[in-house]
Amino acid sequence: MRPFTWLAPDTTEEAVALLREHGSGARVIAGGQSLLLAMKERTVGPSHLVSLGGITGLAGVTTEPDGALVVGAATTYAALTRAALRGWHGVLSDVAGDLADRPVRNRGTIGGALCAADPRFDVPAFAVGVDAVLRISGAGGDRTLPAGEFLLGNGLTAIGQDEILTAVVLPPPATWDAVVFEKFRHRVFDAAIVSATCALRRGSGATPAAVRVTVAGATATPVVLAVDAGATGAHAGEVAAASVLPDATDEPTRYRRELVRTLVRRTVDRARTQQGSA
Amino acid sequence: MQKVCLTVNGREVSAEIDERTLLLEFVRDVAGLTGTHNGCLEARCGCCVIEVDGDVVKSCNVLAVQVDGAEVTTIEGLAPQRLAPVDHITTQSLAGMYRPLEAVRGTPDDLHPVQAAFHRCHAVQCGFCTPGMVMVLKDYLEENPEPTRDDVRRAIAGNLCRCTGYQHIVDAAMEAAAELRGDPAPEGAAHGATAAADGG
Ligand SMILES: Cc1cc2nc3c(=O)[nH]c(=O)nc-3n(C[C@H](O)[C@H](O)[C@H](O)COP(=O)(O)OP(=O)(O)OC[C@H]3O[C@@H](n4cnc5c(N)ncnc54)[C@H](O)[C@@H]3O)c2cc1C
Ligand code: FES
Ligand code: FES
Repeated sequence: MRPFTWLAPDTTEEAVALLREHGSGARVIAGGQSLLLAMKERTVGPSHLVSLGGITGLAGVTTEPDGALVVGAATTYAALTRAALRGWHGVLSDVAGDLADRPVRNRGTIGGALCAADPRFDVPAFAVGVDAVLRISGAGGDRTLPAGEFLLGNGLTAIGQDEILTAVVLPPPATWDAVVFEKFRHRVFDAAIVSATCALRRGSGATPAAVRVTVAGATATPVVLAVDAGATGAHAGEVAAASVLPDATDEPTRYRRELVRTLVRRTVDRARTQQGSA
Repeated sequence: MQKVCLTVNGREVSAEIDERTLLLEFVRDVAGLTGTHNGCLEARCGCCVIEVDGDVVKSCNVLAVQVDGAEVTTIEGLAPQRLAPVDHITTQSLAGMYRPLEAVRGTPDDLHPVQAAFHRCHAVQCGFCTPGMVMVLKDYLEENPEPTRDDVRRAIAGNLCRCTGYQHIVDAAMEAAAELRGDPAPEGAAHGATAAADGG
């Protein structure tokens, strides 16, 4: 690990000011579960670490008057797993409780997962899947960005050097009637090879009013698919396989494409059945 | 340099340390407690798991400065009477350690129930993974008193053991869970008796 200066601000404003003051060498550290791995390997060597650990108000879950769920960026997976979330918001608890391992879930935060922007991580996939909005604070003021526009590539996000992700906002419960997340990995401890999210809004008849299908892991950023609201799981799976990985010539890519097909079929089928019974 | 003060197993330990010092290094080199092992340094193996303010963490993937002021419990903290350094091993002190397996139960002045069950079930071979396994299982069983064998396997998904094949570790966790629940000890304390029943 390269030497660095440790900075522990008490407020987001102070943290932003420190990032600004120390320029491109400064880095935010939340739980450190991804950052410390990279620092130990010396793939990154920040001159200053600005810790979010001492900032109150950056961790925890609150509800807006319209029902939207505001999850502080520094909320750990473990805290999310324990939170009693209503309706499909509860799927976030399930996602948070079924990744990495117990000790890592106690330190890893959802803001860290989004900012690390690893294509295999679950929370970024889920955030795009349910069309979550991210709140960002910077020297130039506050702004919001849909999760899909925040993630730009493997390890790349739209966050500025002197900005901090403060919260992930899940839309109100009424936005979706059913949300299903599925992923595939060989062993429980592995990161997902492919994941799929289906968010569905009921219509007046048998056909849903809206279906949002998102595939992650197979590409650098999650892909939101153009799927017909009335599509069956099997049909959605075909569309997904053809559009996410169209040129699957080698075996690893064909393997991923089959995973895309299967996971999309399952999530859409499950969301459609949940819709009937909800 | 940065001053860091931690309460380790009830004892205050403070030192001026390099910011890069990992919590693992603080526990081993500053607090002098070498029960916490360094197996990979990359959050993979789980040998370095300790509790920070009641939550388990992989201490190789946390900076000591990140947890300044925290209460830390290491494997040594689970059986406090064993903390006294043994600087002179005698036949008497060794004889005192060797008791029939059935007699080793988790009591406040003996081992933690998880440690005792590891002993009874032969869940330790080389012992390198054991401190982390025990810390994770203790934490897990406190929250989940009635796990299935599959639950236990998931709980230790982030802990690697190169020796046991995990079978006896799962046996031990099931026995420890029963003991922590206060279930009566099985007749003759045939360890691992539950293993065959649910097939894994
Ligand atoms: C052993 C292991 C197994 C794992 N398995 C999985 C898995 O199965 N599925 C999965 O999804 N993930 C997995 N992860 C990854 C885990 O989700 C992330 O490491 C964790 O969530 C990152 O959060 P953190 O708070 O530790 O971030 P940090 O490591 O502190 O930060 C990560 C990056 O984000 C930046 N950052 C963090 N917070 C903010 C913020 N609020 N504003 C701006 N920038 C910020 C940092 O500067 C850094 O670049 C695993 C990790 C480990 C170590
Ligand atoms: S040494 Fe920490 S997980 Fe291996
Ligand atoms: S007993 Fe040797 S690694 Fe587990």
